[in-house]
Amino acid sequence: MIMRRPKSWMQWLRRICQGGCLVLFFWIALQVRIVGCPTSEWFKLFFDLNPLILIATALATHEIVTALLCSLITLGVTVLLGRVFCGWVCPLGAVHTMTSWFRQRLRGRAGMERRSPWHRAKYVLLIALLVMALFGVHLIGILDPISLLYRSVTAGVLPGAHYAVEDSATAIYHADPHIGPLRLTAVTEPVYRHFRDRIFQAPRQAFLGGTIISGLFITIVALNLVRQRFWCRYLCPLGALLGLFAPRPALRLRQDAGKCNQCGKCNLACPAAAQPDRLGEWLPTECYGCWNCVAACDRNGLSFGFESPLRAPAAGKLDLSRRAALAAGVGGISALLACRVPVEMQDDQPYPATLIRPPGALPEREFLQRCLACGACMRACPTNGLQPVAMEAGMEALWTPKLVPKIGYCAYDCHLCGKVCPTGAIQNLKKRVKQETRIGLAFFDVSRCLPHNFGRECIVCEEHCPLPKKAIYLVEKDIILRDGSIRSVKQPFVDPDLCIGCGVCEWSCVFQDEPAIRVTSANESRNPKNQPILPGAGGFYGG
Amino acid sequence: MMKPTRRQFLRQTAVTTGALALGPLAAGGQEAAGTPPDMSIARWAGADEAPIADIAVKLTERAMEAIGGMKRFVKSGDVVWVKPNIAWDRTPEQAANTNPDVVKTLVRLCYEAGAKTVKVGDNTCNEAAKSYPNSGIESAAKEVGAEIVYLDRRRFREMEIGGPALKTIPVYPEIIESDLVINVPVVKHHSATTVTLCMKNYMGVVENRRKFHQDLPGTIRDITAFMKPRLCVLDAVRILTANGPTGGDLADVKQVNLVAAGVDIVGLDALGCEVLGHQPEKIGTVVAGFEAGLGQIDYRNKLSLRELEVA
Repeated sequence: MIMRRPKSWMQWLRRICQGGCLVLFFWIALQVRIVGCPTSEWFKLFFDLNPLILIATALATHEIVTALLCSLITLGVTVLLGRVFCGWVCPLGAVHTMTSWFRQRLRGRAGMERRSPWHRAKYVLLIALLVMALFGVHLIGILDPISLLYRSVTAGVLPGAHYAVEDSATAIYHADPHIGPLRLTAVTEPVYRHFRDRIFQAPRQAFLGGTIISGLFITIVALNLVRQRFWCRYLCPLGALLGLFAPRPALRLRQDAGKCNQCGKCNLACPAAAQPDRLGEWLPTECYGCWNCVAACDRNGLSFGFESPLRAPAAGKLDLSRRAALAAGVGGISALLACRVPVEMQDDQPYPATLIRPPGALPEREFLQRCLACGACMRACPTNGLQPVAMEAGMEALWTPKLVPKIGYCAYDCHLCGKVCPTGAIQNLKKRVKQETRIGLAFFDVSRCLPHNFGRECIVCEEHCPLPKKAIYLVEKDIILRDGSIRSVKQPFVDPDLCIGCGVCEWSCVFQDEPAIRVTSANESRNPKNQPILPGAGGFYGG
Repeated sequence: MMKPTRRQFLRQTAVTTGALALGPLAAGGQEAAGTPPDMSIARWAGADEAPIADIAVKLTERAMEAIGGMKRFVKSGDVVWVKPNIAWDRTPEQAANTNPDVVKTLVRLCYEAGAKTVKVGDNTCNEAAKSYPNSGIESAAKEVGAEIVYLDRRRFREMEIGGPALKTIPVYPEIIESDLVINVPVVKHHSATTVTLCMKNYMGVVENRRKFHQDLPGTIRDITAFMKPRLCVLDAVRILTANGPTGGDLADVKQVNLVAAGVDIVGLDALGCEVLGHQPEKIGTVVAGFEAGLGQIDYRNKLSLRELEVA
């Protein structure tokens, strides 16, 4: 980047801080995937600093998640310094800053921009979401910027990067193009190994419906082409919340009327349309404190300085009428009713068989009131078995985690999902407790099972069952072959008193189209209504 | 007979001196010092309370020494693939995977014998990212300089096996391209094959193996013939006696303190059956291997055997 006039070192400091936060965000996402790496509470840093999650979760559950109290720091900073979180810390904000910069390279600078009525859209959205949360519909994670970015990085960015590196290197490895002893793999293999061993350090992941998650992310990033930092200006509910706390910050833009010649360069440089060029009409609730305007002014007419927060700013008040706020509340209530009306959300309805929640997940209603759909558990899951739910469990469950055993099972020794969950929707269980927590029950489809229906040996499922006393047991049965001869085959059966529903049997079944043993959510520990098995009743032991 | 070079003379002298010194310990030593035996069995005769890591290291060292040392198999500059059983996300105490100290010792011996690279890897059943570290093998082998290879599922290549049960199957090329593959399984119970030993350990070099279960003796025999085993080391320091191959209950684990090495895979598997209390003649994979001419079930009479007590 060519900087003709590096006039503001604060601008550079901000860029370094912003870039550092984005790198840290990606580093955490990569680090979480390394199995055996002790998961640290620090990995939740960006969630813990997010007051939107604290407030929305508290409204929905009437409980405070202790770690989220860290976000009071963010609120305190915002009261004093304005929305510097948006300008200096937010990693999604950094993505937008970079994209906006590319847009300037591509298209030249945007035109003069003023306060727009659309600025208030984000406040309307925030109020609607918080009203929904108050009545128990916790959809904040879909639009919360930290959750949104984490989910997009998990389901789109990192698998995409992984795929590109791995598959291109593997294609070259298989084709092995060479001229005499000069092989292309001599270059590609070290690059591949570097990425495999130093950067990704874990197998590649893929997610059901990941395209839609990526698509939303790409759309949000592409909106920077319409307006600089479109998302932050018009949509971001966290930005709106911080804006509510920043009507009279101590850190304020000082506009020197004597030096201003109305050139408008500061306005062109402002990503927020916070009106730094209009004397007395600077908008503290929109400003990200990015120092671009200060750096853009040729005459040193702008600077940030401290004033008493008690003194009201000259102008530039929050642009939200009482009527708009009321309309937002009504909108929120309508939306929450729309979420609750479908049949899948009625309490007396049966539970979807495929909704196998991770071990330690709270009962469904409480789970949904905490889960941000941030994808942290899916990112951490070593088998890639945790996948985003689409619409099968209602709008409230969108992109929340479920186990899809055909893709990956719940590893017996692992409980990373509970360790990384930022809101406790998946509780952090002790290993022994986790190993006794039932998330479902396995069922044989005897019309597909090889020993049951074809009289062939198999029992891969029994081999994989991780319980010390296996939940799948074998019974030898004499079967009559086509030629009339008799042969003994080991047939597998599930002991419902032991099975915890980890799904490794389904995952390992020789049938990959539709496994001959499948796990459903039946018997899950977290839901007494979904427990049809009477423990220890004894039963059918052997064919 | 050709006149020995000075190096050969020194080596032979050393081996002879060693054999003489160890002579009283060797129980069934019937071989001459010049021709190393087909199989060696090292049993622990030291203190019961000795650290299990020490037992594993010493047994492995002595078993390898007794079949002629690693130099018999490894040439200077060789790439060696050590193939333990790392199938399961279990700890060493649970005896579902090969003992990490046995693996570590083999890696060290390979380097001492002049190997250029020693790689360690297995096509695991549970996620490799969990099995490798939890088995203790990753850190143990890394300590002595092994290259830990996480197999990339996209890099298997369909290869001609040409057996009666297996025509073709995807095999991991990097393993086949190595100069030597050391097959080092743990002795375990297995629900489908009763035992899992050296021959069955080769299921960790292939993909698409779930269908093997419809004819395990046949498929395992074919893949063993394809792999042309040259050196196998049987780890029976701890064995899993029930609920295999995964185990998980320490009550099913028994400390036997035995390591055997050999060039005859069927003979080693026959020994493994006996360690688990089974007659090898009744175990499908062993019988299939014997009938295909891959080795001798009656290892005591048909092979030159060296048994030693190690303290």
